[in-house]
Amino acid sequence: MKKLVFAAFALIVLCSHDMYLKLDSYFLQPNSKVSIQLFNGTFAKSENTIDRDRMVDVSVLANGERLRMDSTQWREDGDVTVLDFTTESSGTYVAGVSTRARSLAMDAEAFNSYLEHDGVVDELERRRADDNLESDAVEKYSKHVKTIVQVGDTRTDDWQTTLGYPIEFVPLSNPYDLHTGDRLQVRLLWEGQPLADQLVIVDAEAGEHGHEHDAATDHEHGPENEGHTHEGMSQLRTDAEGIIDVEVTHDGSWFLRTIYMQDSEEEGLTHESNWATLTFAVDHGHSHAAGADQAHDHEAGIPTYAWWIGSIVLVGGLFFYFQKRA
Amino acid sequence: MATSFLRVCNISGIVLLPLVLAAHGVSAGDQVILSEGGLLAYVYVGAKHMITGYDHLLFLVGVIFYLTGFRDIVRFVTVFTIGHSITLIGATYLGIRADEHLVDAVVALSVLYKGFENLGGFQKWFGVKSPNLLLMVGLFGLIHGFGLATRLQSFDIGSSQFLAKIVSFNVGVELGQVLALIPIVLVITRWRGHRGYAAFYRAVNFYLCIAGVGLFFYQMYGYFG
Repeated sequence: MKKLVFAAFALIVLCSHDMYLKLDSYFLQPNSKVSIQLFNGTFAKSENTIDRDRMVDVSVLANGERLRMDSTQWREDGDVTVLDFTTESSGTYVAGVSTRARSLAMDAEAFNSYLEHDGVVDELERRRADDNLESDAVEKYSKHVKTIVQVGDTRTDDWQTTLGYPIEFVPLSNPYDLHTGDRLQVRLLWEGQPLADQLVIVDAEAGEHGHEHDAATDHEHGPENEGHTHEGMSQLRTDAEGIIDVEVTHDGSWFLRTIYMQDSEEEGLTHESNWATLTFAVDHGHSHAAGADQAHDHEAGIPTYAWWIGSIVLVGGLFFYFQKRA
Repeated sequence: MATSFLRVCNISGIVLLPLVLAAHGVSAGDQVILSEGGLLAYVYVGAKHMITGYDHLLFLVGVIFYLTGFRDIVRFVTVFTIGHSITLIGATYLGIRADEHLVDAVVALSVLYKGFENLGGFQKWFGVKSPNLLLMVGLFGLIHGFGLATRLQSFDIGSSQFLAKIVSFNVGVELGQVLALIPIVLVITRWRGHRGYAAFYRAVNFYLCIAGVGLFFYQMYGYFG
């Protein structure tokens, strides 16, 4: 049974066409150039770039200031849209992108399939209960994504500042204070208010290795994409305060995603969805950005100089011994 | 004898000085280099890891001691390179990894194996011929490559140019290997046939056995600790 549930979760995560802000490393140095990647597809593979005119807001929040990025700072790298950006002083930074709404008409079968594969199971159940599974849909959708990164060693409080997006994840503590085994509470806001009983999918890629294996992904929810270790995948529901409680089971790049679907009263539409994601990383509980040539936890051991001096002394001693015996 | 010992110290010093000055293995500083640099950063860190990763070099020292001709050296080093390239690239690309202590413990055993073999241990202790060296070097190359893959995967290398980064790291490992091998080959081949070489041969191979056992227990202590 567990395997079936896991397979269902995997299908949801691997087949969706979400939007994520990703970095090669979420641990950055002050005053350094970084590239924030905007993935539109899955967390593993971006299927297409995003036109600049779709971006309603692009912001970087750092040390209490919100910087609005303009469209010229974006470039395209294959199917990934990339924001080049220079960090300033140390702190916990937040970057966010909010996109303009688009609408999409789908026949009943395609819509049901999308609801199932993208984890919008509440709406699917509603359609089933209302005997609406045969109804076609015209959906208006928009995506609102955030990432939290750590620049240098200093932790600052920008992680708790809302960007004011229609739907938004806001952690209740700094993700960069986390160690493996800790728990992180995150509040989901809809139009600034806690959104209760909303399904949220939480997943992680071990070791921040967000690579993919060139599987041909189908934009329309094809199940072909594969190849990641999704060790921390879980499906949570927000409580009455809009909060989910995430257990950080291992180091890696973590992401949260949800799609809030409502019926639409707007002319020509049947549904409106707002998508939200949040990404951050947990890594040994230490910063990579210190710049010092200190060893990793798992690298601590015999100092190299001690090893080689000991080796020379030992070889010399053995040499004398064997030379004497010769 | 004093002259021979001075030769050991001088040559060992020339070979080892850069290694003494360098930090061991990968570090947080390397992560910063990788995060901010391009593919060349991966070449650099790969080379650095090979030059400062003494277990890999000790094994190669053992292999080179056993060989007499330059052609043989090239042949065996090529087999070792092919072996470790297969697992380094393959395991990293597929995301296959194991506990670093366990992999390094097996690498340590390869150092012990080579020292033991060079001292004629198989014949002396077990009364049998040594296993085919070329085969063993290929096998150990695969294991060393897996160790390198495990180490590379401990970095955050991101998603873009993933395969190119792995290949760059591998290229760096090869460059580091060549850089480290040049003085080692020079020392061994120049001294061979001269006074004191027999004692030097036995000293170094005994040292390889001791180092192999020491590193093995050190890694097992790290694993269970």
